[in-house]
Amino acid sequence: MRLLLAEDDVDLSQRLKRYLAKQGFAVDTYDNGIDVEFYGREVAYDVIILDLGLPQRSGLEVLANWRAAGVKTPVLILTARNTWSQKVEGLQAGADDYLGKPFHQEELLARIQALIRRATQTVAERLEVNGWVLDEETQSISNATQRWDLTGIEYRLLRYFMLHPGVILSKTRLTEHVYEQDADKDSNVIEVYVNRLRQKLGSDAITTRRGQGYVFGELK
Amino acid sequence: MTSLKFRLGLGLILSMLVMFALLWFGLGSSVRQLMEQQLVTRLQHDAENLLGGVRFDRQGNFKLLEQRIQGIYQQPFSGHYFIVEMAGIQLHSRSLWDESLPLLQVAAGKSAQQRISGPQQQPLLLWVKGYRKGGKLIRIAVAEDMTALENAIHDFQNRLLLWLLAVILLLLLIQRYIVRRSLRSVIAAADEVNRLEHAEITVLDESVPEEVRPLVLAINKLLQRQQQRLQRSREALGNLAHAIKTPLTLLQQLAEEKLADADDESRRQLSRYSRQINQMVDQSLRRARLAGDSLGAGRFDLRRDLPALLDTLTRLYQDKAVTLQQQVDQTVQLPFEQQDGMELLGNLLDNAWKWANSTVAFSVRADAEGISISVEDDGPGVDEAMLSEIVKRGVRRDEEIPGHGIGLSVIKSLVEELDGEIEFGRAATLGGFKVEIKFRKG
Repeated sequence: MRLLLAEDDVDLSQRLKRYLAKQGFAVDTYDNGIDVEFYGREVAYDVIILDLGLPQRSGLEVLANWRAAGVKTPVLILTARNTWSQKVEGLQAGADDYLGKPFHQEELLARIQALIRRATQTVAERLEVNGWVLDEETQSISNATQRWDLTGIEYRLLRYFMLHPGVILSKTRLTEHVYEQDADKDSNVIEVYVNRLRQKLGSDAITTRRGQGYVFGELK
Repeated sequence: MTSLKFRLGLGLILSMLVMFALLWFGLGSSVRQLMEQQLVTRLQHDAENLLGGVRFDRQGNFKLLEQRIQGIYQQPFSGHYFIVEMAGIQLHSRSLWDESLPLLQVAAGKSAQQRISGPQQQPLLLWVKGYRKGGKLIRIAVAEDMTALENAIHDFQNRLLLWLLAVILLLLLIQRYIVRRSLRSVIAAADEVNRLEHAEITVLDESVPEEVRPLVLAINKLLQRQQQRLQRSREALGNLAHAIKTPLTLLQQLAEEKLADADDESRRQLSRYSRQINQMVDQSLRRARLAGDSLGAGRFDLRRDLPALLDTLTRLYQDKAVTLQQQVDQTVQLPFEQQDGMELLGNLLDNAWKWANSTVAFSVRADAEGISISVEDDGPGVDEAMLSEIVKRGVRRDEEIPGHGIGLSVIKSLVEELDGEIEFGRAATLGGFKVEIKFRKG
């Protein structure tokens, strides 16, 4: 899952980036409205966390521009301006959730997970596909008999697979959603990680579609 | 006197009185002069007529031809008299009977006139002229009673006076009407200022008479200036709040992280202090808004603002299926402005949504006593002990839920700041929590 974090306070954004990375998210951070608007439109993020008080272009304007340009990425507004009028304004401009500062990191995480579940239309709080259960707390995968711990990238990759079961996922798309903007991106690395996952889950858990990509479980 | 109507009326009366008095005297005396002149002309004709009847005999005595004397001079005390005099001999008209007239000394070709009191106290106009006829000086005095003339003049003056008074009265009435009409726009402007104070309108209507326009424009300009100043200070305050909250977030998260292994007490304390700072920031922001927005930000309009608010709530709680039972009288004018309404109803409904299992009931109605707003949910509600705690100390119902900001205490202080009354209790039909807010009339 790849997140865009738009926050102009460097301390806070670095802190949140560390925290969210630990939770298995690839996080890109930008600190001004113009960059935020550009990358939010050009990159397929899974969730955008948007501070309204951004320099150069206000968050509300950025949000309105995205929605006008047809960007459907779920947006969580994270702001100190948390009166109800501002909440109403933000949600009417196209935001999906609103969190006022100060906030707890767990609260932010819960809201992000809720937005992802909503976007991928998964209802359960626990990610469970084809008898496989992904534990977000311990970043591990288990079935009825066994449990495997996952590395950071393995976890990110598997979660993306499990949130989109039965869908063909290209290497590029997987790369985009698993890695940050500035990470060393080599789509062959995805192959390595898919093979590692196959070693744990069994070779038939993820099938390869030649020239197209990978599918988790049966093709829909 | 400060009454404009009185001052204008007084001014009008005084100026008209002066003007009409002059008119009255002027007209009266001109009329009198004209009529006297006419009288004198007639007397002159009579005198010349008499002169034509003067005959001399051989001894140099003179007499008047009877047929030259008009009948009116023959009746005793008829009011028309004459005396003809030559060399000390006087011929009196028969109308004079045995009375006489003062014969003014005039040279030949000269005339003189005088008002005198004649026979039987008749007011007479006496006119005397000296003629030269046959080398001799003849003086003829003619007089006529002026009673009829005086009466006519008085009559005229009285009628004039009446007309002038009627005109003054009419003008006064017209002026009163005009003044009242023109002042109506001033009174209307004053009404508008009142409505401004109650936030029913945001600017004064500028389509007013020219004389009132400068005042209205000045007020509007002042309003705009005030609004801008308010906007600036509010922005400054908002920026300050924004600036404080980010480090506050960091502080709180640092505390959670670094003190995770430390004792619970210091962590709880730190979190309590940061929460307090946050509440204070929120409160002062709200106060600043309350203090400022009595001027012109517009009222909370149920028709316009409620749909946006409800839409926001359903978006925020997308994962929760809540049925809203709405009984809202959209025509009710809520006694607070837009942002306060959003804050109050937003917190109220958010609270209900958060705790409801499946249903929230929301009603707004107005009756003779005032306006009441009630929000109920079918959640767990609160027990009696907690209820009295809430009422007594304003304890937050959701105090222990992290991140879920402000709760009932915010609603309570908002209602108090807006001069309303608030009651908490158990929802009768839904069984959960119930909040009822009343704004009494007057």
